[in-house]
Parts: sequence; structure tokens; C-alpha cells
Amino acid sequence: MADSLLAIDRLCYRHGDRQAVREATLVCQRGEILGLLGPNGAGKTTLLSCVAGLLAGFTGAMAFGGTPFRPAHDATARARMGLVPQDLAVYEELTARENLRFFGAMQGVARSSLDAAVARGLALAGLDDRADDRVASFSGGMKRRLNLAIGDLHEPELLLLDEPTVGVDPQSRNHLFDSLLALRQRGRTLIYTSHYMEEVQRLCDRIAVMNDGQIVAVGTAAELAVHAGIAGADLEQVFLKMTGRSLRDQA
Amino acid sequence: MKLWSTALWLLQKDLRLWLRDRTGMALGLLLPIALVTVFGMVMKFAFGGSGGMPKVELWVVDEDGSDASRKFVDALRDVGMLAVRPKAGDAPIAAAKARQQVLDGEAHHALIVQKGYGEALAAGKEPPLGMVRDPGRSMEAKLVGIGLMQATMAAGDGRSMPWLLASAMRRQGMSEQGIAGVRLGMDMVQKVVDRFASGGEPELRATGAQPGANFDMGALFADMVPVAREDVVPPERPKMLSYQLAQSVAGMTVMMLMFGLMACSSTLLQERDQGTLRRLLVSRAPRPALLLGKFLFCFTVGIVQLLILFTWGEVVFAVGAFRDPVTLVVLSITWAAAATTFGMLIAVWAKTQKQAEGLSTMLILVMAALGGCWFPLQVAELPLWASVITHSTLTHWAMTGYQGMFWSQKHFTDPLLLRTIAVQWGFVVVGAFAAWRIWRARYLAK
Repeated sequence: MADSLLAIDRLCYRHGDRQAVREATLVCQRGEILGLLGPNGAGKTTLLSCVAGLLAGFTGAMAFGGTPFRPAHDATARARMGLVPQDLAVYEELTARENLRFFGAMQGVARSSLDAAVARGLALAGLDDRADDRVASFSGGMKRRLNLAIGDLHEPELLLLDEPTVGVDPQSRNHLFDSLLALRQRGRTLIYTSHYMEEVQRLCDRIAVMNDGQIVAVGTAAELAVHAGIAGADLEQVFLKMTGRSLRDQA
Repeated sequence: MKLWSTALWLLQKDLRLWLRDRTGMALGLLLPIALVTVFGMVMKFAFGGSGGMPKVELWVVDEDGSDASRKFVDALRDVGMLAVRPKAGDAPIAAAKARQQVLDGEAHHALIVQKGYGEALAAGKEPPLGMVRDPGRSMEAKLVGIGLMQATMAAGDGRSMPWLLASAMRRQGMSEQGIAGVRLGMDMVQKVVDRFASGGEPELRATGAQPGANFDMGALFADMVPVAREDVVPPERPKMLSYQLAQSVAGMTVMMLMFGLMACSSTLLQERDQGTLRRLLVSRAPRPALLLGKFLFCFTVGIVQLLILFTWGEVVFAVGAFRDPVTLVVLSITWAAAATTFGMLIAVWAKTQKQAEGLSTMLILVMAALGGCWFPLQVAELPLWASVITHSTLTHWAMTGYQGMFWSQKHFTDPLLLRTIAVQWGFVVVGAFAAWRIWRARYLAK
């Protein structure tokens, strides 16, 4: 597939006795925002962890830009991706600028380019005027924006976003959406997981639905509705139809 | 990305975080200083007696009030191993009060100089002395006995010798006739000694000796057994330094460094808990560099802590820490590396902060006690099994090294110090490898 950036082919991963991901097959096109939806315990985080290089013991195959891809054992491959984790993975006692500089260095940004990368990150997060304040003094929304900027510091081809808008106010959420759309305009590819249906519907070009470790459907929101046999229904109804209404308390 | 440049970035970041929490940093540095100071003071004063022995407290009640009894009490005060109470100038206490103090456990030995002491002494008889004591304090009893002997001889200018010997022979079952014979001979000896002590008889003096010069009856009997003494002291050891003080400064420093580095190592667990470790693991940074960076941070903090503690020990206690800077640096780098490795092992093994704190506190306290950080076990005669246990602690080797430098004034090229250094670096190599394996199994891709 000429435009595919990431291709996942029949990926399986087992957490002890539990099959967390079953035969997951998914293609992420270059330059798109792909939503990844699923109830708790569906296998979204495990799948993202395999892609990010945090888990290695999976079966199946992955290709990045058409070439085989084993990020757990290949730092260069990992450098082609960025991760925006659900946790606020920042150092609260450092300033925004210090956080960006440090993670930029960890991502392999050259010293000569570091200042420019930090400036770009501050602009992306809308934190230019608070660059030298400690993160501990930031609101939840500001921290979320910084969290996103850190993930994008090295301008990765693929950005993995794991519920990046948890606990933020509408203003910050809007800023994050604008930032993500701006990244896509710059040619970046994004995989976006969230439990907020309206976010996914607003942002994502296509949506993959995971349930019980499997990818059960992929397409636009309208295509998913047709696939679920409830054409014209909103995404939440489609999601519930595909994944059921029973509670999912499994971690 | 390069291993070392990544590790140095991590070091820089952690140092910045460390310096930013000034209260935490100050507490981390001040607590060891406070402990070193307290223990050092305790050792300095508690073991400031004769030859580094602890002073034994002896309560004295003078019921006689004669010149002779006062002289005897003064002589007791001059005995280095005794701390006579009440102190000179304090109000005297009655025998009943002294007895009650022993009963209450507030005192363990109380000497009653009974009425008639002066008269008996003048008559050459055994003077009436009573001792109220706690029989469980056998070690103190021996020291009090030696102190009494010294004071009696010093106060009596040697005239106590006949009655002391007579009394001793009577206790051994000698008849009064036999004792009379002993006393006759002792009286003759006494007369000769008196003539020599007074300096009036030139024929009793060795050629060139001054009449009566420095004649000290107490010292004469303290050194009665003729032993040719040879004092062997490393020439550069500070005169004011006692073994206990050197041991205390080194011991507290060794122990507190482990606590300090444990706190540093737990930043690895903090990274995990706050999610930054996950972010670092998916970055381009070489994964071994993440552990190396933590090691460098803890090691750097350890070196800073050691430098501050030894500077404090030098300023306050004059332990001679900087007499041999090269040896100090070699030993400190070695111990900082070993203690850091220990901290890293705990940090990678523990699944929670609580696990890390609990295990490390227990291990550090046990190792400190067994390794001689609290008490000088290095000089103790231990059974084989106990010796094996103490030798298996990291602290033992660190303490042996530092005491070798402070007390024995050894250079790091001395075989003993080289052995301690080699053992610690051996632990660093094995421990670092183990820490990497555990970390890889626990945190890296599975």
C-alpha cells in the first residue's frame, strides 16, 4: 500500500494468561489522524505499547514506511515516532523550557537545533510567556499542552496520543485540537485514542474500533455506522452497538 | 545517540531537580552532619577516660571528714578512669542517699569512707571503707577496684602498702603471727622508700637522679609489673584523635551515605510512577544510558555528601581527614560507587517506594551494625561465623578502609586498603550487572 505509514499485520500479544491483542491488523495512512476507540481493557494501550517499542514479545509483523519495524530493539525506529502518554509525563520541578530541552536531548535532537525545537514546542503548547516557570505552578490544561509538545519535539513522522485530553478545560481542549490539526497540516500522522466520542468524530479521518483485543471495524464515522447496520447514527451509538453495553472493568 | 551524552543529560536533569528542592537537599545533607556531630560528641566525652576507656562513675561519701579522708577523695578524683561524684564543689551526700541511688539504678558504685578512716591510717591499720554496689556491673567493679588501688597508694604516699598487704594476706587465711612477720618486713621496706621519697639520702639515688624528683606513688603501683613499653603511633595521627571518635565519624559517614543514596536511587521509581520512564523508554536514548545516568547522579550526590561530611569532621573534631587527600579520594570514590550500586539494586528490585524504603532501611541498619559503623567490631574477637557475617557486609569493607586511613594512617597502596577497595569494586561490577539484568527484565520490552 503506497500511502501507508504504519502497517500492523495479525499482531498478537499475551499478558500472562490473557490474550490482550488478537490478530490485530491495521493500516495507518500517511498524513491522517486515525482514531483508536475501544472500551477499557480492549487492548488499545497494549497495541500502542507494541508500536511504541515498550513491548517486544508479540507475534505478527509491523512495517513502517514499507520496511519491517521492531521498535523495541531499534532506537532509530523509535525516533521516527513520538508518544504523548496519558500520564502527565513531565518533571514538575523543572520549568517548561527545561523539560523541553531535556526530552529534546533524549529524543536525539542535536544541540545546535535544540533551542529551535524548544521554541517550536513552547509555541505549540502556547506557553511562550510561561517558559521559565516551573511546571508545578501550571494548570492541568497547561501541563497537557506541554505533554503534547514534548511528544512532538523531534518532529516524528508518527505521533501516538493516548487520551491526551483527560481532565482539561474546554479552552485547553480546543487548543490541543487546533495543535493536532496543525500538526496534520504539516504532514504528521497521528494515532489518537480517547473515550470522548465527539473528539474522535471531530478530529479523526478514520476510526478503528477495538473490542476484546481485536480490531472489529475500521472506517470513517459514517462507514462505521453503515457497518454496524445503523446508518446515520452517532458514533457513540455505533460504538455501543459494536462493543456491547456490558461494563468493562478489566485493566 | 551516544550512551555517555544521554547519561550526562540525565545527570544534569537530576542534579537540577535535586538542587531545586532546597529543603529536601538541605535535610539530606544536614541529617548526616547532625548525626556525625552527636555521635562524635558522645564518643569524645564518653570515652575520654584513661587510654580511651570509658570513665566509670563512682559516688563517694566522706563520713570521716579528716585530712586523710579528704586527701584520699582528692586522689580518687585524680584517677583518670573514674568520674567521682558528687563533683568537687558540689554538696556532699549521705550514705543513705548513696545507697538509695544504687537501689534505684541511678548509680552502680558508692564508696563510703567511714568514720575512723584517718585514725586507722595513722595507726597503720586497715581503714574502714564500705562499697555499696550493683553486682551486675562487674566490668565497672574491676575498673573501680583498680582506681581504688591507685588512689589509696597515691594518698598514702606508700604508707598504705603494709596494711594493704596484711589485709590481703588475712583474707587469704594467713595467721596473725604470719601477718606480723609480713608487716615487719614491709615496715623495713617502707622506711627505705620514705627515705628515698624525701630525697634526703643521696646514697639511695641512682647516679644523676634528682632528689625526690617526680615521685608518684600512685603511678608507681599502676605500673608495678615491669614491662618495657614501646608506644607505636603513626606520626601523623592527630594527638586529640581517639579510636572511638575516628570510628564514630567514619561509621556515621558510611551509614548516612547509604541512606542518602537510597533516596537518590528511588528517583528511578519516581520516574516510573510519574510516567516519565515510559517516555524515556520510547525515546531514542540508549536504554543502558538511562540506568547509567541514574548511577552518575547518585554517585555525584554521594561524593558531595562525603566531601561535606569529612570537611565537617575535620573542622569540628580534627580527625585528620585531609592528611592524605589521595587516599581519601580513592576510598570515597570507591565507597560512593559501592553504596550507589547498592541503592540501584534496591531501586530496580522494588516494585513500590514502600518496598524500597522498607528493605533498604532494614538492610542499611543491619549492615551498619554488623559492619562496625556503630561500634568498633573490627577490633573485636568474633567467632568464625560472626566474622564471616561481618565480612560479608559492604559497610565492613568501607569502615576498614576509612579506619585504616584515619587511625592507622595507611595509604591506599597499603595491602589492607587495597583489599577493601578491591572488594568494594568487585561488588560494584557484580551489583551493576545484576541491577542491569533486573532492570531489563522488569522495565524493558517483554
